Amino acid sequence: MTQIIEIVISPDGQTKLETKGFGGQSCRDASRFLEQALGVRASEQLTAEFHEKSVVQQAQHQQP
Amino acid sequence: MNNVFTKENIALSHIVQIQTQVRDPVAVAEACRRLGLGPPVQQTVELFAATATGLAVQLPDWRYPIVCKVDQGRIEFDNFGGVWGQQAQLDRFLQAYAAEKSKLEARKQGHTVTEQSLADGSIKLTVQLAGGAG
Repeated sequence: MTQIIEIVISPDGQTKLETKGFGGQSCRDASRFLEQALGVRASEQLTAEFHEKSVVQQAQHQQP
Repeated sequence: MNNVFTKENIALSHIVQIQTQVRDPVAVAEACRRLGLGPPVQQTVELFAATATGLAVQLPDWRYPIVCKVDQGRIEFDNFGGVWGQQAQLDRFLQAYAAEKSKLEARKQGHTVTEQSLADGSIKLTVQLAGGAG
């Protein structure tokens, strides 16, 4: 899977940084160099994305 | 029913909001170049009622230059609440700084960066990681 970091800088200079395509906690390590270079962390949010295959499997299990 | 959500099939995503601090003189110079401003000058500047020493940048239509104190990560300025210079110009400078600093750091790590301008005036940078480790 391609590993990318998306950075969106708003017109007032606020920066939002999002990691995509990382397994487990490695996303936090991958973006740390940018966070530290840019300033201070105002907030952090961890989200879990499940592989599409897993979601399909669960849907099938739930069917009567 | 088996639990299909094992640790191995979870991909974690991570969203961080960052308050920009101006600490890199090279990125300050790049931001000035990007915005078509004169290059930053290390000097002591007389503001209306104080002096400030640091990397001075003259923003368009601002009475006094802004002074980047890169050792402290902050900017000193006096625009008299907008009368002597529009806040939007300072915001634009901060945006340019953050974009240039991000590109400098990502390239230093050997990553590829692409830039896009969004309709709302934001700058979007996509950093593709070299090596794909992780």
